[in-house]
Amino acid sequence: MVKYVRFFSLWFGIAIIFGCIQNTFAEDISLTATIDRNSLTINDRLQLTLTIHGTQDTAPPSFPGIDGFTLLYGPKISAQTNIINGVVSVSKGYTYVLQPAAKGKFTIGPSTVEYKGKVYTSSPVTVEVADTAPSSGSQAPDMSKLVFVELSADKNEAYIYEQVILSFRFYFQKGLPVADIDYVSPGTKNFMEEKLGDQRQYEEIRDGIVYNVLELRTALFPMVSGELPISPARLKCNLIIQQRRDHRDSPVDSLFSDAFFDDFFGRGQKRYPVERTTGPVTVKVRPLPEQGKPREFNGAVGTFDMEVSVKTQHVKVGDPITLSMSVYGEGNIQTINEPLLALNNEKDFKLYPAESNTQITNQEELIRGRKVFSKVIEPQKTDLKAIPAVVFSFFDPRVGQYRTITKEPIPIVVEAGEQEMPIQLTLSGNTIVPAKQQAQILTQDILPIMTNLSSLRNQGERIYTSPFFIACLSIPAVAVIASFFVTRQKERLQTDIGYARDKRAHAIAKKRLALAKSALSQNAQKEFYSSLSKSMADYLADKFNISAASATGDKVGILLKQRGVGDDIIEEIYRCLTDFDYRRFSKDGGTKEEMDHSLTLAEQLITRLERQL
Amino acid sequence: MRIAFCGSSKSEIRNPKSEISKDEAIKLFTSANENYLQAAKCIAAKNNQEADLKLKEAATQYETILANGFMHGQIYYNLGNTYYRRGELGKAVLNYRKAQRLMPRNADLAANLKLVKNSIEDKELPNEIPVVLRRIFFWFFLLNGKELIVAAVSLYVVFMTLVFFLIILKYGWLRRLMIGFSAGLFIAVVSLGIKIHSEQGVSRGVIITTKCQVRYGPGEEYEPKFEIHNGAECLIEGEKDDWYNVYVYVGVKQEAGSKPGAEEKVGKDVRKGWLQKKDVGVI
Repeated sequence: MVKYVRFFSLWFGIAIIFGCIQNTFAEDISLTATIDRNSLTINDRLQLTLTIHGTQDTAPPSFPGIDGFTLLYGPKISAQTNIINGVVSVSKGYTYVLQPAAKGKFTIGPSTVEYKGKVYTSSPVTVEVADTAPSSGSQAPDMSKLVFVELSADKNEAYIYEQVILSFRFYFQKGLPVADIDYVSPGTKNFMEEKLGDQRQYEEIRDGIVYNVLELRTALFPMVSGELPISPARLKCNLIIQQRRDHRDSPVDSLFSDAFFDDFFGRGQKRYPVERTTGPVTVKVRPLPEQGKPREFNGAVGTFDMEVSVKTQHVKVGDPITLSMSVYGEGNIQTINEPLLALNNEKDFKLYPAESNTQITNQEELIRGRKVFSKVIEPQKTDLKAIPAVVFSFFDPRVGQYRTITKEPIPIVVEAGEQEMPIQLTLSGNTIVPAKQQAQILTQDILPIMTNLSSLRNQGERIYTSPFFIACLSIPAVAVIASFFVTRQKERLQTDIGYARDKRAHAIAKKRLALAKSALSQNAQKEFYSSLSKSMADYLADKFNISAASATGDKVGILLKQRGVGDDIIEEIYRCLTDFDYRRFSKDGGTKEEMDHSLTLAEQLITRLERQL
Repeated sequence: MRIAFCGSSKSEIRNPKSEISKDEAIKLFTSANENYLQAAKCIAAKNNQEADLKLKEAATQYETILANGFMHGQIYYNLGNTYYRRGELGKAVLNYRKAQRLMPRNADLAANLKLVKNSIEDKELPNEIPVVLRRIFFWFFLLNGKELIVAAVSLYVVFMTLVFFLIILKYGWLRRLMIGFSAGLFIAVVSLGIKIHSEQGVSRGVIITTKCQVRYGPGEEYEPKFEIHNGAECLIEGEKDDWYNVYVYVGVKQEAGSKPGAEEKVGKDVRKGWLQKKDVGVI
């Protein structure tokens, strides 16, 4: 028995659910006729789909009268049930494949279907059949009809600060894969803009073809009057078109030639980059009329209402009352200013600036929201009976007139405040200090001016131009750089013998030449030539970091040649070295003039070598 | 106590462009101080008209010293006091801020600035640096630009001297000392760079008119965005013709929860707009 109860309960539940579903869409029934393309060649095939929306429980729709086409096969029946956000939609499609019989422009007549005694008719669809495609060799589709974009404003004329809805729509044929969408929004200079919700996605039939539409909406608020242009929006994307291969080159190709593998591996897919630009849109913005502008008007444009409330109505003099003024409605709620209080006497209340809090309550269709102004007021007299009326004026662009909302005064009761006791400087032991008695700061004042002259110097002088500053920066740097190079030189002279000998060679040679000169003055021929020979040989040995004994004419000649010294100098050195050695050991030292000449020659040679090595 | 300034909100001070010596500057400064003190006596005697004349003269003298290129924190501070007495809170804040750049450690100045800021309508500051950061990077906030330069140069001289002796003597302990001073020098140079950028790279301004409207664009034809009052501070991002593009920090109250009576949370919001140059005094 329990089993039967459960079974009937289940079926009862299902029946209720489907009954509800039936009810939800029973009222909205339509018949549409769509085609997969509206221009084709005589060799192509046309796919016609008749779709009944809102019910699946009808007879097939009547096949429309079609001239210039023959029915190849069909109908292929498909049924769809969609539940999106709790909204159920059902449809049933009948798909026919047609073959053009002749070229020309043809109209596929309306189809009809009868449901519960009511006849539903589809719109006619126009198709153009050409003889052959202009470029039959290429399989590239006509992309201008596959995708397009539109930019439109909901009104061409508006008042300054009036809300204008700008819609950008991207149409692409249903079933067409689109990737890499890059959108450049339109230029809206002189407008303040607020994005309206997320992008919308829906289907739309244009010339019998079903398009998927992506729509982006923006609320614009013109800030200046005049003809305000909105520059075009731009969209770039890639269309992915499946292209079947006709030739199979290898057995492997034929093995994996199935469409499944093509899809899986992305073979045969071609990306067509597409760029579309919308036309520009111009909005004529009128200034707000001066006629009838209320005194309280403070720039609010839209359709608003106001609520006013207070947290407490029973206060003492000087106690704060928070007045909450909530303005709500359609329009740029963020920019509206505080409503005004209609005070009879400015001394009745002490007013503080209002704090505001803005909430956007609807951002799907229009910018709609609420701005709450919290204003603290303090009654200053006991005879006050009400908080003054609150006035808010705005311009309503729908009727083209200013409107003023006045909220009636809110009754309050104001009592006298407590008297503050003066500070008692002396307290007797028996005195009872009242609770309210406390030290008070009577007044606050700034501290006195500064008059210290000793520290008064010009602080605006640029410190970095003073010589002391420049010296502080440059002297340490120069000292450090100099010490670095000096130390390095010193270390090298200590560690690198060749370098040290090279650097000292000239100085030693000069000393030897001085000795030779001294010997010459004493006419000591042997000493003279010995010094001269030694100075030359030692100089060359130091320069090439070799021993003095090995500084022979031949060896020195080779080394000098390696250093790029000219042949004439090498020959001269060779001759000198040989001549000085010969005269050193021979009895024929030559005349004084010859010795003088030898000394000059040696000096010149060493000087020339010092320049070249 | 301060007296209300009657008449135009525009400054009537005309500064001669002649050079003055330090002695002349001191003379003018002393005279201006005397005028200010006499004005204070007049205020105490409730002779507001005489006090206003004296304050006006004092302000002119302080402005003359500054216009001739003689700058000192004391002059800006005294000028701020003078404007405060005349009821020009915007100009008072402007001069206190200028003084603060030259005398960042002065407690009197900080107290006066706090008092003036508390008595203006828009109290939000462009950027309030947390106390923790002020304590950690104390040298940055306690030294003015010139003092930071002196500190950096002194560290540089010590560092270079250490390098000099290290090259010559090659003592190991000199190297360790040099590393310590190089870190100090690095901190000083970075601090100086930030100081220079914050004072010269970022333009700050103070509203010096009673109230002015921040607009959506640089022109009277643009609609007003919101209103800003005397003494409010702003960051100047750019300029076009007679207009500044400014960032202004404003206080915003937000509901903490959706329940009725929930406490309001006070936040800070930055608003951008255009202000006329004549309404803004650049710090």
